[in-house]
Amino acid sequence: MTGEAGRTRVARDEAGARTRFEEIEVGKDLGEIEWVVAPDDIDRQCAMDDDAHEWFLGDSPFGGRIAPPQIQYRPPRWLLSRTYNVRGVFYKWEFENVRPIRPGVRLRVRGRIAGKWVKNDREFVAYEAEARDESGEVVFRTTRVHALDVISRAAPRQGSGIDSGVKPERI
Amino acid sequence: MTLLSADTPLGSRLPPVARRFSVEMFAAGGAKTIHNDAEAARREGLPGPVAVGPQVAALIFRMMRTAFAEGWIVGGKASLTFRRPVGANEGAAAHGVVTERRPEGDKVRLTCEVWVETEAGVKAIVGTASGLVPRAQAEPAPD
Repeated sequence: MTGEAGRTRVARDEAGARTRFEEIEVGKDLGEIEWVVAPDDIDRQCAMDDDAHEWFLGDSPFGGRIAPPQIQYRPPRWLLSRTYNVRGVFYKWEFENVRPIRPGVRLRVRGRIAGKWVKNDREFVAYEAEARDESGEVVFRTTRVHALDVISRAAPRQGSGIDSGVKPERI
Repeated sequence: MTLLSADTPLGSRLPPVARRFSVEMFAAGGAKTIHNDAEAARREGLPGPVAVGPQVAALIFRMMRTAFAEGWIVGGKASLTFRRPVGANEGAAAHGVVTERRPEGDKVRLTCEVWVETEAGVKAIVGTASGLVPRAQAEPAPD
């Protein structure tokens, strides 16, 4: 990370003002998203990750096609984006694959802000999410940490960013 | 088929998984992002476009899926720190070493130290990942 004098942090982007550290509410419920993985989503995930394993393309020992577990990255990120405009950079990723993610199965993903802190002059936000299937069984759990900015918090916020913290809700 | 078993010695290395990234991989449907546009990256304080973090971490996940098979899909865990970005046109490889063995229910959890190293020798992602393997046949499960 860098923090040279004279640099600035992005203040806004096409989605509006970037969320300031002070605006993040620890414990805030990020709400719930209903998510059904489509076969095309699995195709795209396999292409992105260069991992066309047979279980992701056809049958698997779990009975039918399954998705690469890391497809779970996006819905919790969408939940964060619905509440806060954080571009920043990804800093930590913890997760547990509890059950296979299957196409056509309706999942409910719920998230909350787990914490925030300042370290090395950078601002961090942690959020956690859990996905359950229609039977109420946990499918995955995850906790993420994002740094709000690459540049030191001593740098003022001004100017516009090209990229945004608000991401399209698609795989 | 899993490459690991309850008898796998601690210190065993997982087969690495390597990939060369290119900025075209991060096209994002034409939108300019820190992953595909130099000016978008510069405004965020980055020296240039960087690879998408989860796609870099996917090298670790592929390594773990290859090593643990079903025991990664159900029961897999990871705790990763993204220490440095990987350039959007850089090469990188995932590595892993088995460091711990612990009974868990009727299975055994093998924990691995894992990391992604760039072609320049920088450890971009570090952490641990674990998966489940069957118990050795002679080892009874606890009541």
